[in-house]
Amino acid sequence: MIRSDLLAKASGATEFGTDLAEPEMLWAALVLAPIAHGRIRRVDLSKARAMPGVHAVVGAEETARLLGPGAGDPERPLFPSTEVRYRGQPLAAVAASSLAEARAAARAVQMEFDPLPIAGDLEEVVAEWPGSEAGSDPRMIAHVRASNGDLGEEFRLAEFVHAETYRTNGVAQVALEPHACVAKVDVGRWFVRTSTQTPFGIREDASSILGVPEASLVVEGSWVGGGFGGKTAALVEPYALLLSAATGRWVRLSLSYTEEFVLGRSTLPAVVRLESAVRAGRVTARRVRLLLDTGASLPGRDFATGYAIGFLLGPYRSDAFDIEGYAVRTNKPPFGPHRAPFAPQCSFVADSHMDSIARRLGVDPVAFRLAHVWRAGDVTPLGQAVGPFGLAECLEKAGALLAIWRRELPTADGFGLGVGCGYWSTNAGAGGEALLRLSPNELTIDQGEREIGSGSVVRGLVAVAERVLKIPSDAVRVGYSDTSRAPFDSGVFGSRTVGALGQAVEKAARRLATELGRRLGTSDPATLARDDDQLVAISGAVRRPVRELLTSEELRAGGLEFPGQHAAPPGRIDDSRVGAGTFYPYTDFTGAAHVALVHVDRATGAVRVLRYAAFHDAGVVIDPATFRAQVEGGVAMGLGSALTEETLWGPDGRLLNPSLLDYRIPTLGEVPPIEVHAVPGHPGAGPFGAKGLGEPPIIPVPAAVANAVADATGARVREMPLTPERVARTLNLLASGGTGRG
Amino acid sequence: MGFTLVAPDQPKEACALLARSAPGEISVLAGGTDVLPDVEAGRVRPSRLLSLRRLPWRTLGWNGGSLTIGSTLPLREIEADPGVRERIPGLAQAVHAVGSLALRHRATLGGNLGRAAPTSDLLPILLTLDAVVNLVGVDASRSVPVDQFVVASRSTTLRPGELIASITIPEARPSQYVWQRVRPSNDISQVGVAAARASRPPYWRIALGGVVPRSIRLEGAERLLPAVRPLVSELEAAAALAARLAPFATDKRASEAYRRQLVGILVRRAVASISPPIVPPVGVA
Repeated sequence: MIRSDLLAKASGATEFGTDLAEPEMLWAALVLAPIAHGRIRRVDLSKARAMPGVHAVVGAEETARLLGPGAGDPERPLFPSTEVRYRGQPLAAVAASSLAEARAAARAVQMEFDPLPIAGDLEEVVAEWPGSEAGSDPRMIAHVRASNGDLGEEFRLAEFVHAETYRTNGVAQVALEPHACVAKVDVGRWFVRTSTQTPFGIREDASSILGVPEASLVVEGSWVGGGFGGKTAALVEPYALLLSAATGRWVRLSLSYTEEFVLGRSTLPAVVRLESAVRAGRVTARRVRLLLDTGASLPGRDFATGYAIGFLLGPYRSDAFDIEGYAVRTNKPPFGPHRAPFAPQCSFVADSHMDSIARRLGVDPVAFRLAHVWRAGDVTPLGQAVGPFGLAECLEKAGALLAIWRRELPTADGFGLGVGCGYWSTNAGAGGEALLRLSPNELTIDQGEREIGSGSVVRGLVAVAERVLKIPSDAVRVGYSDTSRAPFDSGVFGSRTVGALGQAVEKAARRLATELGRRLGTSDPATLARDDDQLVAISGAVRRPVRELLTSEELRAGGLEFPGQHAAPPGRIDDSRVGAGTFYPYTDFTGAAHVALVHVDRATGAVRVLRYAAFHDAGVVIDPATFRAQVEGGVAMGLGSALTEETLWGPDGRLLNPSLLDYRIPTLGEVPPIEVHAVPGHPGAGPFGAKGLGEPPIIPVPAAVANAVADATGARVREMPLTPERVARTLNLLASGGTGRG
Repeated sequence: MGFTLVAPDQPKEACALLARSAPGEISVLAGGTDVLPDVEAGRVRPSRLLSLRRLPWRTLGWNGGSLTIGSTLPLREIEADPGVRERIPGLAQAVHAVGSLALRHRATLGGNLGRAAPTSDLLPILLTLDAVVNLVGVDASRSVPVDQFVVASRSTTLRPGELIASITIPEARPSQYVWQRVRPSNDISQVGVAAARASRPPYWRIALGGVVPRSIRLEGAERLLPAVRPLVSELEAAAALAARLAPFATDKRASEAYRRQLVGILVRRAVASISPPIVPPVGVA
């Protein structure tokens, strides 16, 4: 079976965000701040306005005029009027008859600033390493803390304390399609067609930024050329809408790929210090400190530190712990969510640390993890019940495979094997409503999400309907509508589509099956089959065309409709363990254990991953092909984070590698054969017991690779990505200390 | 971004077109993998593109031990040629190191040299093979050693109205090209080292890529190697000298210290794969 979207995508027929166009539309360009921090003295638009082809140039003043004084979120102005906080911050926007004219006019805007000191380097903050009193430090925009147990006592009793410091670097989104939209404002109707993971999220966000009521805003999703979290919040849409309000015309705004690197919302660097008290072969207490660079994020809007704190202890039992994190404000673009926001980095830290302790103890790293890993019935450090959770089984299977690979390992120098563990919780987000409509020859799933490439919508939701109704997949169509017509759903993020919206489809499908059974005169639910181009309903020996089961009113309305809703009761955190900050008690824990076989060139530090295996607890797998593809894609992407991908920042706050030449995503040449295994038996709350799988496959990869490098060389690389130069430095190969990052 | 494409089929005609055009008005198009991104990004705005595709230069021919490659032959055809692979392995390896497979189906040797591509993977091996660039002009043809042709990144001694017709490698030599990158399959090399052994003295050629303004020969290191198999100690001395003399700097791709480390390793590996060093018996100093 071929996924219904793939032929159009492979042949180039699919209209992605960057293909969007309307007759007579204007082209937009943004004017970006050329400095990272400074007081704005002057942004003079007059010369730009006089350029050929220009229809509108808007800055802070014009925005206030167009939207009304005080409209919009004062904390998130479209254009700042007093202070630039990061290089690339939009200061004005242009609409012109062509893209070349728009860009030429954007270059003609004249700007003057009084430079302010640039806070760019996390290491400067690390040098002082703030204590718990740092909450009042203006550089810290968030402070989170959780603790439990008698830490002092455990550290006193410890046989040794294992202390390490880890560093991670920023990862960019690199969806092949940059942010792009077309917009039109027309007598109080603000319409935007955009490439987004979350049409309803864009509506809410754009409404808040522009100060336009949600009821006046309509967002229509286009096909999405990759979305890893960067397309969950408004970015280009408010600017395009504003320029359309200024000109009365359709306006198209698409970021250039360089702009996408700067504005597209990357993760940023972090430093983590860990101390583990070890006694009788067990970790008995942990102390963890995190400093996370959140760029020019706003106080109260940092989500990442709370996420990270939860993940930094790993999926391991911790009775006594004290974990604390600070979001550090720097003059970089705001931190953004990227596939399992910050979990791969946390897994790299937490699981490298566990591996490192096991090696110090001289025990098998897999057995050591198994002695600590959460099992069903355990609670997380924050006191949340784990529920059905198959990570221990994934680890056992990974360990067994590792033992086989170990026996086959070449005897030559430089080969090594490692395991990495990760977990995620997937039942997230509000809403989730689907509307099923059965016509005589087709079943339509009307819903409010967009397919972002993973297949969770075009394949995942369809597979749920297929399972309930036994309907052939090519008789099921997914309906996409704009936010004025689609049932509400919070969108594609947090690995929630199948687990959350899939539940809504399952419930609606079951109601439909029951109703069809009733109309067939049986008490059993019906199934559907195709006879020529007509659908027939079947229950036992009874079989009738759907056309004959629908009322004339239903036929006129387009079919028999049933809605279904998803509900995600949040998990419960033990509040007595929370010292400060916000934590996210999502439910439906999934686990994964990965095995990597690497070769390390012990002279140059170059790492090749030669073989890879992934064991996943994804609850009940409802579509094996999509499951496999999703794991393979996540591993490939994770290998980039592990080995080559990092954003490099200059002391002037400039992103030094905003291109695919020097920001290196993996090619197929870097991706080895990947074994993919589902570990069943731990069902989630999703349809038929499914759990989410969008994010989990990327999480364990950096840890698996780093642990394999440690196995191959005996040296622990404590900073990711593991570029050749970084590995060489860890192996003490360099004659003198290098300063470059390489 | 409007331009017209002209594709003459006579070299003289192409040179005349070029000679008549003002600088910046015309760009030469071979495979297009370097110039078209520049046109797209607006870094150059030619009104005409002079395509070389109809010129009779998609050739590869041997004359005894000498190889002549037409300037517009796609790189992929050079690396796939069994004769090149067997007789000048370093050239096949260097060509294979350029970009991606898809790119090598378009990119050409003439384009790489004519555009004086920065951090070229091809210039080091061409230096070790004493390659000669054959040029045609409106009135005359001439041949220039590659060492005197590429001056610096984006700078050559090509005169107005001249085109590269072919590149001649006078002697098939045992040779090797080795490199180090962050992303092995497709990346700019942090350091590239080419080595070749000639049939007459001075025997060795070692050249270095990944340095600005241009790849260079490491003649001091070359002189430390004997005609045939070096002793381990001789190879170590040559590698150490290469690491010391290499004019490296720190940039976003690698630090100076790491590049020095790499040069020593890569010189050792390149030379050893051409002539395995002699390990003295235990006890001999």
